[in-house]
Amino acid sequence: MAQIVLMPKLGQTVEESTIVKWHKAVGDSVKKGDVLFEIETDKAVLECESFYDGTLLKILVAEEETVPVQSVVAYIGEPGEKIPDAPAAPAAKPEPKKKAAAAPAPVEQKKSAPAVEVAKPAPVAAPAVSSVPSRSDSATAKKPGRLFISPRAKALVKNKVVKAENISGSGPNGRIVEKDVLAYLEQTGYNDLRIAPAAKRLAADKDIDILDVTGTGDNGRIMVRDVETTIAEQPQTMSKMRQIIASRLAQSFGHIPHFYVTTSIDMTDLLEYRKELKAKDMNLSVTTFILEAVVMSLEESPIVNSSTDGVSVRWHSNVDLGVAVSLENGLVVPVVKKAQTLTIEELQTQMKDLSEKARTGRLMPDQMSGSTFTVSNMGMFDVENFSAIINPGEGGILAVSSTLQQPVVKDGEIKIRSMMKITLSADHRTVDGAKGAEFVKAIKSKLEDVELWKSLI
Amino acid sequence: MEKFDIVVIGAGPGGYPAAIHAAQLGKKVAIVEKEKFGGTCLNWGCIPTKALIATAEKFAEISHAAEYGIKVDKVSFDYAKVVSRKDEVVAKLNSGVGALLKGNGVTAYSGTASLISRNVVEISGKEKVKIEADKIILATGSESFIPGFIPKSPSIIESKAFLAMTKLPKSMIVLGGGVIGCELACMAAMFGVEVTVVEMLEDILMILDKDVRSAIRSNMEKMEIKVLTGAAMTDISATTKTVKGKVGETEVKAEKMLVSIGRRPYTTGVKLENAGIELDELGYVPVDEFCRTKASNIFCVGDANGGPQLAHAATAQAVRVVDNICKKERKAMEVLIPACIFTAPEVGVVGLTEQDAKEQGINVKVGKFSCAGLGKAMASGETEGFVKWISDPDTDQLLGAVAVGAHATDLIAEAAVAIRNELTVDEIGNTVHAHPTFAESWMEAAHSVHNLCVHSVVRRKR
Repeated sequence: MAQIVLMPKLGQTVEESTIVKWHKAVGDSVKKGDVLFEIETDKAVLECESFYDGTLLKILVAEEETVPVQSVVAYIGEPGEKIPDAPAAPAAKPEPKKKAAAAPAPVEQKKSAPAVEVAKPAPVAAPAVSSVPSRSDSATAKKPGRLFISPRAKALVKNKVVKAENISGSGPNGRIVEKDVLAYLEQTGYNDLRIAPAAKRLAADKDIDILDVTGTGDNGRIMVRDVETTIAEQPQTMSKMRQIIASRLAQSFGHIPHFYVTTSIDMTDLLEYRKELKAKDMNLSVTTFILEAVVMSLEESPIVNSSTDGVSVRWHSNVDLGVAVSLENGLVVPVVKKAQTLTIEELQTQMKDLSEKARTGRLMPDQMSGSTFTVSNMGMFDVENFSAIINPGEGGILAVSSTLQQPVVKDGEIKIRSMMKITLSADHRTVDGAKGAEFVKAIKSKLEDVELWKSLI
Repeated sequence: MEKFDIVVIGAGPGGYPAAIHAAQLGKKVAIVEKEKFGGTCLNWGCIPTKALIATAEKFAEISHAAEYGIKVDKVSFDYAKVVSRKDEVVAKLNSGVGALLKGNGVTAYSGTASLISRNVVEISGKEKVKIEADKIILATGSESFIPGFIPKSPSIIESKAFLAMTKLPKSMIVLGGGVIGCELACMAAMFGVEVTVVEMLEDILMILDKDVRSAIRSNMEKMEIKVLTGAAMTDISATTKTVKGKVGETEVKAEKMLVSIGRRPYTTGVKLENAGIELDELGYVPVDEFCRTKASNIFCVGDANGGPQLAHAATAQAVRVVDNICKKERKAMEVLIPACIFTAPEVGVVGLTEQDAKEQGINVKVGKFSCAGLGKAMASGETEGFVKWISDPDTDQLLGAVAVGAHATDLIAEAAVAIRNELTVDEIGNTVHAHPTFAESWMEAAHSVHNLCVHSVVRRKR
């Protein structure tokens, strides 16, 4: 019997995933370990491998479709083998129903979901249902009612490449008739527009309302490039990762009263010491020193390593340190678990490994969740100072800026020193001003104290 | 120091229209020219070559008169007379430009201009004069040249010297199979010169699609022009009587060699550095889409700015620049520039070519119509060639066109109007074209984009 391929559940918090790319097509032979498809969870893009040898017989979830985890996505077996109509996939049954209902679907769709489920037994139908809402929100959400329009009016609207939704109908039940369209065209100035024929064709093709296009040709004639500009300006669904970043940041900034403390750290001596170490073949990055100083300081200021929901406070016994890694299309925060138990070299090795995985998209969801405090380092971007937004579930985040050569007063003289600014963003509900100040001061005094590092290494 | 609103440097097809147009818009204008009004186009380019080619075509036509039932005994030509007719045409147009400038109130200076500053131009003519300018339009053009690796000899000439010759050689090598090289090769061959064209690239006229190239090449070969491509000419040596060299393994030898492997901008003597303008590595003046240089009051139009080296491109830029200055507009230059090639057969091309589309990964649909299927072409005995539309399969938009064959250089105008105004294939197909004309071929080719051409056999894919 054909083997069932399920949407894998990657990590505790992942409830649904999107297939972004199929690496195999129906009819391709598949070996155990071959990459079958790529999925995008709310945290990362991952490759999924086949557990079976055989031929890919059927794909149930197309690219760009989102389905709950444990849904059937494909069948693998011998060529010509019969595929079960309603596979007995026990794991798949209970989940999709719930998810389909929980998805932020317009009201109508919620209603229709059970009907579909009856007509086509469970797992196969479920993916199709839950994949709908992500695409069609703008069109269906705006106009809940059906559009009543006469055939002549409809043909005219199509011919003029405008949207009937914007026309008010004078017929019974607000039905749009030809004269309404004509009046609309007159009143919107459509009749004075000059439109290049190819531009009109393109607009019709891409479902663009000509009235949304501003012409830049001779005497304001609407040209192909103008329609292309309008197309480029249409809202586009953001990647799953972007959407998650957006909702988490908005949630955090809206709910957590942030406050900020900045200090300047003299890195000159530490950089010098790092050079010495390098000469001895011991290559520790500046980031590693900063992370280690943060871990030690968090242990001294446990309130910064705690989190609150406004009613209760959780004191975390471990420092699970999140480190923001920027990617081309967003950002991930891999987490070094129990950072306080690691030596400085172990910290560096783990961090290196995690960021490499993050950059190549091979981070497992569990490796990027559960942090108690986060460091965001923009040192490589030549920035003087910035402040970061707290990851929900944490008490603070540290923004690390570039180390810049600056004139500094030291021992009553102006000297050129390598200065670095750090800014703590803390949750003011639990972290008082003085506590925040103590924390940044602790980091500063550690990074400026070379003797401390000598004793540690 | 006399002060002008606009000073134009160079009176070629970029400069003189700029000056006249600005004067017509009420500006006080001066123009500086170091040689002759009309520039390369009128004196050593478009016009004289076309005058010679016209004679060559007439000669070829009369030689074939018998095919039309006309009896002509002994056809011959007097090349010195051919050249003096060309000179008359040039002189007439030349004085015409002078009269237009004068009549429109443009002050003309004869001499070489150089910039003293952003606003001061020095003219070295019979005497030195300095004038002040609010705005300056550079239209200094370009010149043909013989690169250093080719020996200096009276037998080796470039196009300007070729056009001045009053006697044709018996045999000639044309080094460089671009537009100028191929035009003059065809012309010389029609007058009976034994011509060898040498082109380093894989084919002649590489700006054109392969089907167009091979239509021209096969006709050139029919005219007994030897076309050698894909190898550079080496071991070039010359005496006063012969030029020889090697192309791959083939030895080539001729009485003269015409070098047509490109032109260089005429920008070095103008001292643009005094206005803070740096030339690019090839000597062109860098400009933006409004033909503005780095100096905000100085503009550069035509060949010198590195754009298409075509007279009509220069003119279009010049007029647009003057409009932008005088009417305080900010319109970018036109980008759709048709090009005409006066080979035998001649070519007109505009917009996207098939090979451009392939290179840029643009999906296109093509419709062709052969002149052989055209009543008028049959009647005229000019059945060579074809026209071709290149269109967007999704929107039906016309993106490019090429015509090769009789009257192609005139036919291309319709295609330019259609493409610039973003017409679709259907609209050209639905436009009634008069019968019998050569222009009908555009309509037929439009139908064949959709495989619905009445006058050709459509093979249906099943």
